[in-house]
Amino acid sequence: MTVVVSAEKLSKTFGSHRGVEGLEFTVAEGEIFGFLGPNGSGKSTTIRLLTGLSHPTSGTAKVFGLDPIVDAVEIHRRVGYLPGELALHPRLTGQRHVDFAAKVRDMQDRTFLRELVERFQVDLERPTRTLSKGNRQKIGILLAVMHRPELVILDEPTSGLDPLMQDEFERLMRELVSSGTTVFLSSHELDEVQRVATRVAIIKDGHLVVTDTVEALRRRAPRTIEFSFPRTVDPKHFASIQGVHVVASNGKRITLALRGAVAPVLRVAADLDPLDVVARPADLDELFLTYYRDQSAEEHDDAR
Amino acid sequence: MRADVAVIDLRLRRRALLSYVVGMVLYALVIVVLYPQFKGVTSLDQLTKNGSTVAALFGATGSLTSPSGWLDANIYENFLPLIILLITVGYGASCIAGQDEDGTLSLAAILPISRRAVVLQKVGALTVQALLLAIATMGCVLVGRQFDLSFPITHLAGLSLGVALLGVDFGLCAIAVGSITGSRGTALGVTAALAATSYLVSSLAPVIEWIRPARYASLFYWSVGNQQLADGLSLASVGVLISVGALSTLTAVAGFRRLDLH
Repeated sequence: MTVVVSAEKLSKTFGSHRGVEGLEFTVAEGEIFGFLGPNGSGKSTTIRLLTGLSHPTSGTAKVFGLDPIVDAVEIHRRVGYLPGELALHPRLTGQRHVDFAAKVRDMQDRTFLRELVERFQVDLERPTRTLSKGNRQKIGILLAVMHRPELVILDEPTSGLDPLMQDEFERLMRELVSSGTTVFLSSHELDEVQRVATRVAIIKDGHLVVTDTVEALRRRAPRTIEFSFPRTVDPKHFASIQGVHVVASNGKRITLALRGAVAPVLRVAADLDPLDVVARPADLDELFLTYYRDQSAEEHDDAR
Repeated sequence: MRADVAVIDLRLRRRALLSYVVGMVLYALVIVVLYPQFKGVTSLDQLTKNGSTVAALFGATGSLTSPSGWLDANIYENFLPLIILLITVGYGASCIAGQDEDGTLSLAAILPISRRAVVLQKVGALTVQALLLAIATMGCVLVGRQFDLSFPITHLAGLSLGVALLGVDFGLCAIAVGSITGSRGTALGVTAALAATSYLVSSLAPVIEWIRPARYASLFYWSVGNQQLADGLSLASVGVLISVGALSTLTAVAGFRRLDLH
């Protein structure tokens, strides 16, 4: 396995503010690596460290085995980057932006660029200040992939795109990967990540809480069971069962997240005469929320 | 070296730059055309007689009716430096710190171009802007030779170079402060304060004895405040102005290399 991106004890602080701390992960060549976390968790800070836009406080990051600060020019030649908050020059057209990047990258062949413009219906003729967020985002996507980079780093790439364009973008990512490109996909959109990523890291409050393949995470993810009862039921009946977390309860309807065997839950439920039961397969949404709940609970316990 | 970053920046500022150039050209033409009406008004020299501090504050010392005195007092010691500084300090504060604050700097910073090259290209764009204004003004002043304004052309060329370098130096100061702090406001504030102090020291040095030794620390003195139109721009002045610019460029490159970008 060729490692394209690696982080070792990578940390960044901003004065007294935490950025990210002790990050350890690798991204292999040709994979889509999902980097998940809520707003403010440290995703964009990590990306700025990988792209050399920001300096680490401690630890190391490597891209293609190179240092993002020292070897920035070589790395940038091989990387495409879409920032989370894309800022374009308001008075310049998309064409000016694209021409600028193409010249600096010394791009001779613009066939793929023209294909992308047509495929995403990118408006390159108007000043970017007159474009919608989605149309500006399309220009950002062009700038990130038009030179067929070996590694694409995408921060919230589908922000502002309509569902059709989101699908088109997913197809593009898969095509890029099939041609050997590695994708580092940062997002808080769990659905998007679990659809395309092969491996996922979840970051919370600047710390990685888990890194694994999507399949392995899915196996560990809790299933969701929803019971309906003819009368109000105390959720404590279920809360005491090992591996069960009461996700929601409105008296007659109780939703549980379950890790482990289902039999103890069914035994308790049977005594309560349920009207209906719906079980959903595990998905990353629930796992993601579980990690947050677990950490919050641990912090709560620690505080006590 | 490629100039793509400089070209983009100049394109972004072309309207403002054109407006400043047109305004300065019109003003300079009015000044030179008016000279024949004022060259015989000896009472005008009373304003600066006996070392008037108020006149000195406005950049007027010596005879106002001589060609060099008229041009210095109306263009080269005050108005033209002010306009050039507005352009260069404004650009200097915005081209690194300002663009980083609004997020557009990453469009260039993520491309395969070193941070040193980014700074040098921005220094190039800064120099083009300062030279453009200085040369346009020089062209208008040359027209003044048809209106009784006589002076050696080489001295005018030297003075134009001096005022352009003055603008470049303070613009570079703004780039350097912006590269170190990442703050457009700080870059503007620090540079404006330095420029104002430098102007005051150079203007008041001829009339206030205790300020005189400090004039050597003023870039205004080396560029426009030492009768450069009458005596020519000295090599020492060029050396000081270029040295300060080089030092500021090195500081800006070092600062930008350490700066965390958005």
